[in-house]
Amino acid sequence: MNYFFHIIIMINIYIILSLSLNLIVGMGGMLSICHAAFYGIGAYIGTLLMVNLGWTFLPALLVAIIGTAILSLIISIPSLRLKGDYFILGSMGFQSIVFILLYNWTDLTRGPYGISGIPSPSFLDLKISGLPLWFVFSTTVMFICSMFIIFLMKSPFGRTLKSIREDELAAAALGKNIPLFKIKTFALAAGFAAVAGMLFAGYMRYIDPTSFTMMESVFILSMIIIGGAGNIRGPVIGAIVLVVLPELLRFLGMPDAIAANMRQIIYGLAMIILIRCRPQGLLGDYKFT
Amino acid sequence: MLLLELISVTKIFGGIRAVDNLSVTFEKGQVTAIIGPNGAGKTTAFNIIGGMLQPDTGKVLYNNQSLSGLNMWNIAALGIGRLFQDVRLFKKMTVLENLMTAFQNQRGETVWRSMFIPFAENKVEKERKENSMQLLEKVGLQDEAETPAEKLSFGQQKLAAIARILATDVKLLLLDEPMAGVNPAMFKQLLNIVQKLTDEGRTVIFVEHNLDVVRNLAQRIVFMETGKITAVGTPQEVLNNPQVRAAYIGRGK
Amino acid sequence: MNLFLQLLLNGFINGCVYALVALGFALICNTTRIFHFAHAGVYTFSAYVFYTFYTQQNLPLAIAIPLTLGIAAVLGIAIDCVLYKPLEKKNASTLLAMLSSLGLYIIIVNIICMFYGNNSKILVAGLLSTVKFGGLMLNVVQIAIFATFIIVFAVFSLTLYYTGLGIKLRAMRDNPTLLALNGVNANLLRLFVFGIGSSLCALAAILTGLDVGIDPNIGMSVTITAAVAMIAGGMGVFEGAALGALMIGVLQSLAVWQLSVRWQDMVTFIVLILFLLLRPQGLLGRKGRLEERGNV
Repeated sequence: MNYFFHIIIMINIYIILSLSLNLIVGMGGMLSICHAAFYGIGAYIGTLLMVNLGWTFLPALLVAIIGTAILSLIISIPSLRLKGDYFILGSMGFQSIVFILLYNWTDLTRGPYGISGIPSPSFLDLKISGLPLWFVFSTTVMFICSMFIIFLMKSPFGRTLKSIREDELAAAALGKNIPLFKIKTFALAAGFAAVAGMLFAGYMRYIDPTSFTMMESVFILSMIIIGGAGNIRGPVIGAIVLVVLPELLRFLGMPDAIAANMRQIIYGLAMIILIRCRPQGLLGDYKFT
Repeated sequence: MLLLELISVTKIFGGIRAVDNLSVTFEKGQVTAIIGPNGAGKTTAFNIIGGMLQPDTGKVLYNNQSLSGLNMWNIAALGIGRLFQDVRLFKKMTVLENLMTAFQNQRGETVWRSMFIPFAENKVEKERKENSMQLLEKVGLQDEAETPAEKLSFGQQKLAAIARILATDVKLLLLDEPMAGVNPAMFKQLLNIVQKLTDEGRTVIFVEHNLDVVRNLAQRIVFMETGKITAVGTPQEVLNNPQVRAAYIGRGK
Repeated sequence: MNLFLQLLLNGFINGCVYALVALGFALICNTTRIFHFAHAGVYTFSAYVFYTFYTQQNLPLAIAIPLTLGIAAVLGIAIDCVLYKPLEKKNASTLLAMLSSLGLYIIIVNIICMFYGNNSKILVAGLLSTVKFGGLMLNVVQIAIFATFIIVFAVFSLTLYYTGLGIKLRAMRDNPTLLALNGVNANLLRLFVFGIGSSLCALAAILTGLDVGIDPNIGMSVTITAAVAMIAGGMGVFEGAALGALMIGVLQSLAVWQLSVRWQDMVTFIVLILFLLLRPQGLLGRKGRLEERGNV
């Protein structure tokens, strides 16, 4: 039962990550490989506030969201000028720089040693600790975030974002401020990623930079590629499939060391097969042509 | 009343003067055709007016306001609308969505209203939908409202694009070869619509190669060659100008 | 002063290694316009293949090296045939090829991890013999790296600008369709590009392996450095990649000299960001190519 709770908690975290990345990739049409950087920045901002300054969860969460959204400007503003392949490279550059900073700026982040002793979130005498409570808490947070993201996607904002994805020039000729929309989309996605980061930090009670690498960014991106982009079902299915799949391997009795590699091989394979045979993913709306 | 004024506009691409010291005015409510051989600079002039390109020298004045340095979306907000030669509908979105995107000043586009008070837009969205359907009826596409734009025929796409630009409350309409590439079956329908556009008192500037269309629609013709204007006037005057005839229609007897 | 010069020298030699990878990467990328991330997989794979032949099986260098280069070439060609060509047939964009490439890299590296473990391995036991000159020091592998680079670069440039093959390669970069229409066997050329590009990559992997050893993760960082070198040197200019690589190698050393080893990798990405923002055509590139290159 505990195992089941753990899986659901991880799925919840990754649903928030994949739905928010979908805003950039599926709705905005911009392929970005730096979402783990936002995930990590959110986790670290909140963690440092809670561990070093004794803040409680909610205020730390708020600052983490706003801080990550603001920091997203570092990548979103310059990348306005970059097209296609160059944009992807730029996002990879940002991701790598963030990781290098998290790993080497040991005075601030304690680098590879990580930060432990992260307090469990507590609200009015209710401490969220233990798997059952975390199950409920993470599912609630996931639903709240998903609700906001769905509102965004179905609103005129979402519609205009899609139009920019479809034809930037035409959208501009209709009066849409392209740079502003792109910057807002990045900031929103970054903010949600920060929420996921805070959930992760509060649940694991320990974070270190190795959870926020480029491979993690690719992992989140592959949820959208495999599950599908542009709508809600796609990223959600992608998150569920990619979290559950490696666990199934465990049931096949594979030793843990090999299982880690096999999981990666399977998802690399899944990426290749889906791109080749079904570029809109399992349940997606939008094909990367 | 002067609506648009180009003053000594020049644009150079790698040594070639695409638009060379171009000066021309457009009155409000006037329908002007720009004709000329390929490479004359017609599309470049359009791009400059629409804000896709900035002129190297010279000014563009719209309602006495300089458009220099303004972004495309700012220019669109002033009421200058453009129909592209390659249509450029939002392919994967339905025709209706294409139109609804076009409405200006949508408060629902802000993050606050989208995320936190999503239901506030419901009433306005309903109005937009009704307005969109009316526009679609005007161009005869009301049955295709829920069709993805990419599934329409080229002629239908042009009609949809016209409906879309009308949704923006456009005051100066730039039509880039509206009749090009349209098969004969759609031709008359499209011509009727374009005629209605020009009849409704909007200021229209269009680039066109089909001289019959030009004769039918234009009140005034501007003839361009190698980036310069070599003739301006009524259709009578310009089309009978020997230089124009020679350059455009050919020297054959 | 000596420390500075030594660091500079080491940086230059590192740059030579990056340059070998970058030349191969640029060859493939410029002609096919695909961001061949799987190049990192070829690099890692070649390193371990060589390790198997040389260290585990004790084959002599004269056999191990050509075998590895050959296998790398075959792998590169196979990747193109299995992954990229089918996508091109469907008119998929290079974005999808790039993502597939990434997927394949993940597969290759993890297969290697399964068979060889995650730890780094040394190829040559004991210290390498060194040569001293004027207060500076280089080990034999570093000298080999330098020599290899000079030879490769010379052959590369001569071929590119003085042979028929070179003309065809440059034409392929500019307009592959036109090339095919002109009766050139574009497929053969493509096999050549992937084969040679991958062999160059393997060469770099072998040399680095002999110098400092191997581990499963070297491929990605080297390839990203090569990609950055290509952009910094100038997209569309083959030799630009070598120039960019040398520059990055030297800059990395300067970072070590001024700051510390920890910030070395940051240099690559700062160079990337700076060039993307300030001079996207790179050092040697011509402006305007960006519009042709960019996707979307």
